[in-house]
Amino acid sequence: MIGAVNLSAGYGGTQVLSGVNLSVGAGEFVAVIGPNASGKTTLLKTLASLLKPLSGVVYLDGTMVSKLRARQIARLIGVVLTEQLRPTQLTVFEVVALGRYPYTNPLNTLSETDSREVLRALADVGIEHLAARRFYELSDGQRQKVMIARALAQEPRVLILDEPVTYLDPRARVEVLLTLKRLSKERGVAVIASLHEVELALRVADRLIIVSGGRVALYDSPEEFVARDGPELLYGLGGETAFSPELMSIEFRPPNNGGPRIFVVAGGGSGSLVYRMLARLGYRLSTGVLHAGDIDYYLASLLGGRVISEKAFHPISPEKMQQALSEARDCQAAIYTSPPIGPLNSENRILAEEIARQGPPLIVFGNAVIEGAIARVDDPAALPELIGRALEDGLEARPAAVRR
Amino acid sequence: MSRRLDRLFGMASELPKTNNIHMLLLISVPVTPLFIASIIFGSYSITPWDALMAIAGRGTAESSLIVNSIRLPRALAALLGGACLGVSGAILQALFRNPLADPYILGVTSGSSLFLALSILTGSVLGLWSPFSPYSLYLAAFIGALMVVILMVALSGVVRSTTTILIIGLMISYLAYSLTSILHVFVDIEKLRALVYWMMGSFAGARWSLLSPGIPVLAIFLFTMVLLCKPLNVLLLGEEYARSMGMSLGRMRMFLVAAAALPVSVVTTVSGSVGFVGLSAPYLARQLTRTSNHFAIIPASALLGATLSMTADLISRLALQPIEIPVTAVTALFGAPLVIYLLLKGRGVQL
Repeated sequence: MIGAVNLSAGYGGTQVLSGVNLSVGAGEFVAVIGPNASGKTTLLKTLASLLKPLSGVVYLDGTMVSKLRARQIARLIGVVLTEQLRPTQLTVFEVVALGRYPYTNPLNTLSETDSREVLRALADVGIEHLAARRFYELSDGQRQKVMIARALAQEPRVLILDEPVTYLDPRARVEVLLTLKRLSKERGVAVIASLHEVELALRVADRLIIVSGGRVALYDSPEEFVARDGPELLYGLGGETAFSPELMSIEFRPPNNGGPRIFVVAGGGSGSLVYRMLARLGYRLSTGVLHAGDIDYYLASLLGGRVISEKAFHPISPEKMQQALSEARDCQAAIYTSPPIGPLNSENRILAEEIARQGPPLIVFGNAVIEGAIARVDDPAALPELIGRALEDGLEARPAAVRR
Repeated sequence: MSRRLDRLFGMASELPKTNNIHMLLLISVPVTPLFIASIIFGSYSITPWDALMAIAGRGTAESSLIVNSIRLPRALAALLGGACLGVSGAILQALFRNPLADPYILGVTSGSSLFLALSILTGSVLGLWSPFSPYSLYLAAFIGALMVVILMVALSGVVRSTTTILIIGLMISYLAYSLTSILHVFVDIEKLRALVYWMMGSFAGARWSLLSPGIPVLAIFLFTMVLLCKPLNVLLLGEEYARSMGMSLGRMRMFLVAAAALPVSVVTTVSGSVGFVGLSAPYLARQLTRTSNHFAIIPASALLGATLSMTADLISRLALQPIEIPVTAVTALFGAPLVIYLLLKGRGVQL
């Protein structure tokens, strides 16, 4: 429906993007992602005809947009910009009714069709109850929805939004994005929105437009992008930051500052909270025995921990047990996160009991009962202090273990 | 549900809502009494009856002269001039998206006076046109006003800061003022007296000869203003939004620039630099109507502008009788503190 052929775009003669070829169909929700200052806004403004292309064309339903008059374009493309508005005393209804600009007469009297479209736009975004409120009284999230409703009142075929959720709190972010996604399906509008939040983009977008290094690429699905290591390449991740395709999130590896090493017996997701806490507090992490494919396995690896792992859906072998036990003995403290125990990982409980007997001091987090543990705690907030105490105890009681 | 829809449809019109209409009626109340007072009061008081007789052409020779030749044109100049300054201020504030914009503060008035002085000087020296013909005066004042508004619009594209724009406007005022003062040296004493009026601002100089070509211009201007309310409303969201909603920005900006400059040039030609009415009237209009909708703001600014300028004119002629104070000296008394207040409040001021 809307597309670009051999488009070059930029400001005042300075070329920002070149060789842009893309096409977005009706009902598609397309996210535009890319690093800061890569030209996302330039691309969107050029598609919206707010910037003249340096060369090439933008077309809409087979018509070159440059051949259309401003009023005609406004009936086809609705725009929501990043810039925050100066507060105005206009009511929400009045602001949304401004979207009828390309349809109304100079006196701006609203016909029945106009009023119906304004009401439909308010309803589609779910803000009918705000209609009589004044714009300046609204929260940022509500204002953004009003601006979207205003764009919808133009009855556009294409909705172009520049960072529509950047200033919003997490809940409003998800609300606005889901609203946009729903609109693309219900109204059959092509929605093109730039997003800073890659993780959100990968979760909601039908397709992705990637802007980087002056060039633009179109991916048919977020999965395709992820499968080609897109996020790592796009944002230059590596070293301390990494993208996890399993968690669909960007994680950072805490720098190795030589802090005490802690062994965690976990599995089945029971370890994730403890892993992050240890990483945050600057401890080094060892963990086992985890099955490959376990969420704890991915997270511990991402955080740079030493992971002793067993093949997926295989019982834990005696070799891995030995390896885990000797790794645990090298650590200054250990935590048992009370993982769910079944036929394939029952060895982990025995491992914990062995550590309690012959390894560093063991803390139990959760409801499991391990003989010889120095403490058991349910409240994660109490863990840091316990770990501190365990490390002191370890120094007094087992100096040999520490020295090794 | 249908009742709720009815309620929504009831407010669906972009024209002023009922409460706005009530407020507009309320705002219009003082206009007529002030107009009558402008005719009656002065260094020589006239009873309402005598004034009426004089207008009807049956008054004494003395009251006829005072009412018909002096008071009536003066009252009309204050009424229409104030209304037009109010509207001009409202347009400038929407154009610059800045509640501090005002023809006086932005230097539009000074640009007008400068070109008036220039035209009078070159006209009398070169003799190419009659320097005191109303048409050459109006034209010169319009060109001067237009040039300053265009310059300020161009600058506001480069300079983002509100305060900077205002300071530049003030400097343009000073520049124009100093050039006008220099020009005075070249004009003989008799003409100087006329020029001094323009510099200080007073409705006392309003005469039919000068006023009559201006009245239809201002009246037509006020009535065509209703056509600019829709684009002004869209401009509240900023220029990019306005364009994305189908406004041809370049053309509309030209219209608005001309619409802001035209009334200022007429007022300046007739009564010199009248300051702060264009600032205060739209501000009061927004405060009283509690809306930003220009379909209400423009008429309210006109009414309040007329009220303010007629009040200021009355004070200027009555406060230190028989000496007249320049009208800007009066308007500045409430205008200048308002500017300081708005500057302190900053971005929190609603437009």
